[in-house]
Order: sequence, then C-alpha cells, then structure tokens
Amino acid sequence: MRIMTLEYEELEFIIMKVKEVSGFDFSGYARPSLLRRASGYLVKHAMDLSELTSHIELGGNSVYDFIQELTVNYSEMFRDAEFFIKLRSEVFSYLESYPTIRLWVAGCASGEEAYSLAILLKETGLYDRSLIYATDLSQRVLASARQGVFSLGNMRTFSENYLLSEGKKSLSDYYHVAYNQAVMIPDLRKNIVFSLHDLTGDGVFNEFQMVSCRNVMIYFNLEQRQKVFKLLYESLAMFGFLCLGKRETLRYSGFEENFRIINMHLNIYQKIK
Amino acid sequence: MIQKHDDSVSLVLLGGSSGSFSIFEEILKLLDRPLQCSIVFVLHRGKSSLSELPQLFRSYTQLQMEEPQHLDPIVKNCIYFAVPDYHLLIGPDGRFYLDNDEKDFFSRPSIDATFVSAAQSGLNIKAALLFSGASEDGAFGMKLIAEKGFKTYVQNPLTAEVARMPAAAIRQYSKHHILNENFFEEIRSILYSYST
Repeated sequence: MRIMTLEYEELEFIIMKVKEVSGFDFSGYARPSLLRRASGYLVKHAMDLSELTSHIELGGNSVYDFIQELTVNYSEMFRDAEFFIKLRSEVFSYLESYPTIRLWVAGCASGEEAYSLAILLKETGLYDRSLIYATDLSQRVLASARQGVFSLGNMRTFSENYLLSEGKKSLSDYYHVAYNQAVMIPDLRKNIVFSLHDLTGDGVFNEFQMVSCRNVMIYFNLEQRQKVFKLLYESLAMFGFLCLGKRETLRYSGFEENFRIINMHLNIYQKIK
Repeated sequence: MIQKHDDSVSLVLLGGSSGSFSIFEEILKLLDRPLQCSIVFVLHRGKSSLSELPQLFRSYTQLQMEEPQHLDPIVKNCIYFAVPDYHLLIGPDGRFYLDNDEKDFFSRPSIDATFVSAAQSGLNIKAALLFSGASEDGAFGMKLIAEKGFKTYVQNPLTAEVARMPAAAIRQYSKHHILNENFFEEIRSILYSYST
C-alpha cells in the first residue's frame, strides 16, 4: 500500500540532486513513470523526501541503488509469443543471407530478451554466425544477465511463453537447475556480449542487422525519445530491422518515413532510407 | 520541464475488475451524443488478452474509442481503454504515458496506477468511479482524487457482483458517493453535466 506520494516539483528536485551527486541525468525520462517509481521507492524503503535526499547525498551505492530501481526494466523471456513467431518467419528468413549477423538488444535488463533471441537463432541454425550485443546502463543487471540465472518461478512463465512462441524443444533444454535456480547453459552465452551502454548518453558503437529495443522507449519523454530513435536509426544497416514493444510505434519519432512496416501489430520495422 | 497542460481537458475515470465488464458495456450504451470530457476506462485484463476493446464495443456508441499509445495527447470527446500488460499513466502535459513497471495488486494495467497519476497530474478530474472487483486496486487512487476535491463514486458493495474492490475503497475513505441500484441514469448525468 502506498502511503507516500511525491509531487512533480519534488521529483524535479530529486532529479537535480541525483545529477549533482552522481552525474546521472534523468532529465530525458518520462516524468509520470519516474514519479510513480520514486513514490514506490519511498514506500518500499519507508522514507520521506528529506530522508531520500540525505540517502542520495551519501553518493556511492546509495544513489546507485536509487537510480537502479528507477530504471530497471521488467522483462520476460519470449514476451509476446507472436512477436517471436513473426521474427522467425519474416525477419530471420531475411537475415539468413548475411555471412555474419549482428543483433543489438538495447536496454537488455537481466538478459531475458538476449537469451530468447539466442534460443531462436539456435533453432533456426543461425546462432553460430550471429553476435548479440546486449547493453544496459546498469552494471548490476548486466552482472546478473552474464550469469544467466533466473528464478524457477519466472522460468515457469518463460516456459509458457516459449511454448506459445512455437519453440521447437522445451525451454528446460536450455537451462539446468542449481541451488533452486535456473542457470542458462553456457553454450547460449557464447555469442552474447553483455556491455554497458546508456541510450541517453552513449553513441553508435557498431552497425546491426537487427535492433531489438522493446519496452524501452516508454521510459523517455518526447524529446529524448526522438534522440534515441536517431541513435537506433544510425546503428542499423540499410534494410536492417527495428523491433519495438507491442505498444510502441514510430509515432512522434521523426523517423516514420525511414522505415517500412513489416508487422503493424508487433511493431517490426525495416530501415529503407 | 513540465509542460503546461490543456485546461480544457476534463477526465472521467472508471475502474473495474471482475463483475465490471457488463457495467462498462451499459455505460458505453449511454453515450449517444458528444461529450465535453474524455473518458478513461481501466479494466483488469490478462496480458495475452488479444481483443481490442474499441472493436469489441463498436456497436455501443458512435463516439471515438481508442487504446492510447505512449505520448498520445488526451482529446476531448474520446473514450480510452487501458491496454493489457502496461500501466496507463496520465501526465501533467495532458498526454498518456505507458509504463512497464511491476504489477500492482497482480494487475497491469492497475487502476491505482492510472488514478494516482491523474490525481497528481493537475488535470481536471470531472469524476472518478470504481466498480465491482476482487482486489483492493483503486482504493488508494480514489482516496487521493477525493482528497484533491474531485467527485468520486463507488458502486455499493452490496449490489456489486464482487464486493471486495468497492468495499476497500469505502474502507479507506468513507466519504465517496455511493452508487446504488439503477445507477446508470446518475452516471449519464455525471458524464453530460456541464459543470467541471
């Protein structure tokens, strides 16, 4: 139950404090989500605004922990099963013609999407010539992504998603259970590079045949979102594919004319100019 | 950084869960002429629920119905439905924001997410209404809206198909207006009243 709610003016003060202490800049983030998460943080840690301010001023792990909780992306393996079905039939069939396939999972959180793509590439025989760059702004989630460890409870949901996405085996073929947790098999990790990248600050670092940036754009406000779209556009090879979340479109991106729609409901686009 | 909102936006918020679907259908059937406000329905839905409510409800009203996308501006005389698997937030700039945060009360969309954000947005809320449901979602948001001085209406738990949700709202804040049986005429007059 929420007992504490912040007001927008207080949120702006916190954003300023965080930048002052850590250098991390929330100014391009969507305010309503930040307000909701910051209020949630106060409730969870039983703090009021002045306690939060002192907590942020401690710097180091304290401020880092706060940034982490406000930016964490909740994801699932094979989220939106029909997306993976279309990916296999309409995108991978095209990628097949490339000798090397570079994919970028932008905002990869704990690696759910990267491992899902790895599995799909494996089942279509493309994995050995693919390289998946999975990036996030948080070292902490990247460390967890590298380990490839997920709770068994989550794995049940992921397994259902996997079956719905017409996976060819059983998801349990791709992990083993240790200490009551699911650990992804090392073979899947082989061609995934997890590394630090902040979509709001860092630039283009490679050229990709496909970029998956699902449910990340909704973290940003209108101006920041346009900047991130530019970065993704510039990171894509000509005729490369851009995959957005199920409820995210190119609307208000400034790049509506540069892509053709591969699938309107699942927001799969191809760069055409 | 916070953009000034459109002063003419006036919201009517409706939240419901189990037992509310048919109530929402009846409310839509009341909408036979243009509205001065924007209506936002938040109905608990499974994440894989594929049906699009505007399609499903097409025969009930001639008014425009939408499932808003991230950053869509809130438009007068339009009916909105929160999409499955995201929270639907209302921003101080009069736009919708989708949010991928954790579930609230095991629900995404959650009613509280929308109602709390609306209360904090500074936008005008013509009314907030809460109906039948099996969780306590919405109670906190309704209280916040009432405390900001806006009108709030809760279905009488005794007539609700599932009492828990309206009962929780009344328990957290006793001064909500109670909607009793045959409340559809009352809702029509709320929706079409000219007062803000």
